[in-house]
Amino acid sequence: MPGIDECLLEAMDLPGALGASVVEWISGLALGAVGESPNGDHEATAAETAELARLAAEYAAFSAREVRYIAADTPVEDIIVTTRTGFHLLRFVETQFDSSVFVHLWLDRATANLALSRIRLQDLAERLALS
Amino acid sequence: MTIAADTWTLATVPRAPGDGMPWGPGGFLSAPEPARGGAGADRPLDDTTRATGPTGPSDTTDTAAAPQPPADSDAPSEPAEPVGPESLFDDETATGTTLLRLAEQHATGVLLGDAGAVYLLDGEVVHAESPASPTLDVLLAAAGRLSPESWQDAVDQAGRHHQVGRFLVEQGRLAEGELEICHLGALFDAAYFALGPGAGQLRFRHGAAHWLGPIRPVSARTVARESRRRRELLDQVCPQPRLDVSPVARRCGSTATASCSARQQALLDLADGVRTPCTIAHLLGRPAYHVLVDVRRLAAAGLIGTPYDEEPLKPTPLPTWLGHAATAEEPDVALLRRLRDLLEARL
Repeated sequence: MPGIDECLLEAMDLPGALGASVVEWISGLALGAVGESPNGDHEATAAETAELARLAAEYAAFSAREVRYIAADTPVEDIIVTTRTGFHLLRFVETQFDSSVFVHLWLDRATANLALSRIRLQDLAERLALS
Repeated sequence: MTIAADTWTLATVPRAPGDGMPWGPGGFLSAPEPARGGAGADRPLDDTTRATGPTGPSDTTDTAAAPQPPADSDAPSEPAEPVGPESLFDDETATGTTLLRLAEQHATGVLLGDAGAVYLLDGEVVHAESPASPTLDVLLAAAGRLSPESWQDAVDQAGRHHQVGRFLVEQGRLAEGELEICHLGALFDAAYFALGPGAGQLRFRHGAAHWLGPIRPVSARTVARESRRRRELLDQVCPQPRLDVSPVARRCGSTATASCSARQQALLDLADGVRTPCTIAHLLGRPAYHVLVDVRRLAAAGLIGTPYDEEPLKPTPLPTWLGHAATAEEPDVALLRRLRDLLEARL
């Protein structure tokens, strides 16, 4: 049962991890952040990634025909953005209360293993919210 | 939203324990370390606010309203020099400036205003409350995560030691991550209102601690900056501040449910023209700011508004099953007779 900080430090242990944060996507608030940030400001990054997460979470294109998310905030599990030098993994955290939170992991494309990171981040996000 | 410095002059702190929170129960407060010498642990803050007031005339002729602070040895001497964070927070309200000044002094206690309270521990924000914002137990109970009885039990057992949060985790009733996420959400939500324009006169009560106990302290600078960012975000979405406080109603004729998310749909269903966004937030068990954002987005999309900004509300048409009986033009004598007969038959 890790807290936010333990969860972020564990994410930073992944190969190629550059920075990680826990972000609330309705307000764009960074609840916690470690490592580097793509634009040097974790709060600004949180606000921008939150906007992306909100669009994915709310747009009907990603929720149509989905019936298994009555309790969750969104049917979307994660978002992967690939840039020329990095990967951005946004993993939604499923809590039993209204939280609208995701974990953002920024990875170096040259050294990271995307598939592994995705599975590990999923595991982390689940442990963050489950007792 | 610059506010004249005089508006924010801090009043003397009330001595009675219950007077500190005009907006709510005084039971939240406790002063674990009684003040030495019986002079009370409260210390007026006029000097500090004046020194960092946004308008800047550092006139120190305010002694009439400011009794001398008790000469506590642990009370830091007044740093009257106008240095500090105001250069970073030119446009921040005086409440934010006051909070930052208290943080610089590593103060412990509660900053009380008309719109809420912000608790500090050694200069860091550990908790915030506002009547506008659903509290932690409301958020957890609304989702069925933690029953009110379970919460009350934790408060009864650990409240006097100011360890309720820690207790909930140690007893396995909440995961640490869950508690941190939910509490931070509630903290920033309440701080947004407590530090907002409705804060009124501020008082600082030294030494007061919240029974929840520290969970994940955040810097006062982060809280002040976040409150300002949230205000700006709302205005970017839809610059209609009255939507925050007015009752909201679904716009007549707006049937475009496909364009709003399930979360927003739940909000729309409760927007009856009587409930305010904060009332809706309590009913939904969501942080109030989240509802404010959704209300502004829905307003920008033309799906919601205040009941007063359009033409006067048309009277709701009566249900057809009422027929003419309810129009009271002429009583339905036959119906009334039958009713009387039935009632008499049961006597």
